Amino acid sequence: MYKNGKCVTVKAVSGKTYQYIWTDTPASGVMKDVYFAPDKSYVVAFFREQQDANSIERLENLVGRYRQGMFGGDGGGYWEKVYCWPYDLIRDGKRIGLVVPAYRKEFFFRYGSPTFDLKHGEKQGEWFTNPWHRFCNLDRRETGDWRKYFDICMLLARGVRRMHMAGLAHSDLSYKNVLIDPITSSVAIIDIDGLVVPGKFPPDVLGTDGFIAPEVYATMGLPKRDKNRKFPCKETDLHALAVLIYMYLLCRHPLEGKKIWDVNDEQRDKLLAFGEKAVFIENPMDTCNRYTVEWVRKNEPPSRFRYLLPWRDLDKLPYTVLGPYLRPLIERAFIDGLHNPAKRPQAFEWEEALIQTMDLMIPCRNAKCDQKWFVFDNSAAKPKCPFCGTPYNISLPVLNLYHLSGKKYAFSGKRVMVYNGTRLYRWHIDPKVERNEKLTDAEKRPVACFQFHQGNWYLRNESDCDMVDMGKRTPVPKQSAILLADGVQIRLGGESARMIHVQMVNK
Amino acid sequence: MRRLPVYMLVDVSGSMSGEPIESVKSGLQMLVDALRKEPRALETAYLSVITFNSRAQQIVPLTDLASFQLPEITASGCTALGEALKLLCDCRKKEIIKTTTEVKGDWKPMVFILTDGIPTDDDDVLSEGISEFHAEKWGAAVSCAAGPDADKDFLDKVTPECVVELATADKSRLSAFFKWVTASIATTSKGINEQGDGATGLGQLPPPPPELTIV
Repeated sequence: MYKNGKCVTVKAVSGKTYQYIWTDTPASGVMKDVYFAPDKSYVVAFFREQQDANSIERLENLVGRYRQGMFGGDGGGYWEKVYCWPYDLIRDGKRIGLVVPAYRKEFFFRYGSPTFDLKHGEKQGEWFTNPWHRFCNLDRRETGDWRKYFDICMLLARGVRRMHMAGLAHSDLSYKNVLIDPITSSVAIIDIDGLVVPGKFPPDVLGTDGFIAPEVYATMGLPKRDKNRKFPCKETDLHALAVLIYMYLLCRHPLEGKKIWDVNDEQRDKLLAFGEKAVFIENPMDTCNRYTVEWVRKNEPPSRFRYLLPWRDLDKLPYTVLGPYLRPLIERAFIDGLHNPAKRPQAFEWEEALIQTMDLMIPCRNAKCDQKWFVFDNSAAKPKCPFCGTPYNISLPVLNLYHLSGKKYAFSGKRVMVYNGTRLYRWHIDPKVERNEKLTDAEKRPVACFQFHQGNWYLRNESDCDMVDMGKRTPVPKQSAILLADGVQIRLGGESARMIHVQMVNK
Repeated sequence: MRRLPVYMLVDVSGSMSGEPIESVKSGLQMLVDALRKEPRALETAYLSVITFNSRAQQIVPLTDLASFQLPEITASGCTALGEALKLLCDCRKKEIIKTTTEVKGDWKPMVFILTDGIPTDDDDVLSEGISEFHAEKWGAAVSCAAGPDADKDFLDKVTPECVVELATADKSRLSAFFKWVTASIATTSKGINEQGDGATGLGQLPPPPPELTIV
């Protein structure tokens, strides 16, 4: 049609013009051919197949109403970073194309792989969920530590929460459609154009293998118009979100276990294992799908085996290492809600649980530990890092957060584990402030920090008002410090501020 | 992990020498380099190369993409495609992991056959080759008739309704073929068509580029 390298100018429905460089070998996705703008700041993605009126209406809404709703209001800029949302539509004769922002540079490998050429490759999530990829095929400078994956999951849950709040479902969430960067803790949800609006725009794909919800797999054989046939929707997004979180944090698939449902037909076996018969590999009531390290050894290539541990060792790294906030959500997602979509945790619940879990994380005492962080379990007799086994043998203040309820203090259900350098923020001390995308810059500044000095722990007040030692009824003025000891209670500011009750572990 | 085995059967007879064989080599290397950038393909795809001229030979046993290395290939001699099909079936019997209650076996292997000529085996070897090949189930089996002298009728007996054709066996057309094979492997490794029936026709693979005509 054009000569390779020719710069083509097109007019979009918004009236704006865009340019792209023609090539007869465009990057191609499942449904679209992708051409780059001359400065590579955006791409023009043309659908290979003709789009029907309904699809075109969906795309118009995607770049119009829905986009305006997501990004138009206050704080819209925050979301620009979380999605790769198309911003204009091109109708070039019969060809329909979307103008989509190019992926930011942090989503391309800088170092790639030590063994083969992966530089500039896209950071699809799958590189980071398979331990052989994460710990053998990727350069160590690409993979980040364990805490980064909590950040990533939190941002992902936040992104899904925002879409669901707007009444939109992504319909094809998978590690292919989520780019992540564990160095800068960034997430970009991509391939938004398949979004589903209940009662208005039906899904046009079933999703990606491994992320499709059991009810969708199980009813795939029914005719499209059958009322029992299940299609991607908000609830299936919630299944995919739970799978993604489990995979990013634990480097294994929650449903991919040892059970074989059909010895003769691999396809049917897979459909049953992810669909009708799906069982969580760590389900304590039904262990048919649970595997042992020996089974992993038999089922993986010998050269990869050592990279798979401890991730594929369900005894050494059970989902309970994710701590008390995530534990019940994992159970709801993969036990109670696996075949009962209404019971699946909502995106905001994941977001909250991840935020609270990060307050329980402490750095491993072993400077060479690969994961560097773990969730502190104060119920264990001898707390240790689940990855390298190094005991945590120094004293550790646990802060229990209370808030004023009437005239009495009530436990807020939140705890903070203190390590050297822990900081408290506005959302810890003020019950009215939530840690979310609406935080102002002032609210992002720490209000207190903790230091370990000559064998003692101190809290330093970095806020702009006095804190109060409730036992002695003495103020802790700004920029001064207070010694932490078992039982100490400190109000973290004025009358309405939260109070911490200090509990010393490993005294 | 279930592996996705991929067998490439490549004609290295005398007529392939020069540009065609060089294009095959660079095509295979490009295929490996591109699939290594696909995390799922890198995890699951295993590649074997069987060449045939006067004899058939498995020059690379089923190997994962991370350690795959392409040996030197030269072109000379005749076109023992029948023997190659028999060797393919032997290799499959030796190399493919069967599913048991304790071990998840391999996906059905994909096979791509590339030839520019007419098979030169004896008739009985040819018919044995075809019947042994048809006795096995393959994930996707596609033949490519590269250039006007390829025996399309024979290929259609091997892989009915799954024959593609290149007008000539030149660099750009062979490169387009290998790109399409790459995309086919990547797509298959990622998962399964909507029907979930593991169908084997061309319809399950990405659309072929304009250089490839479906016969």
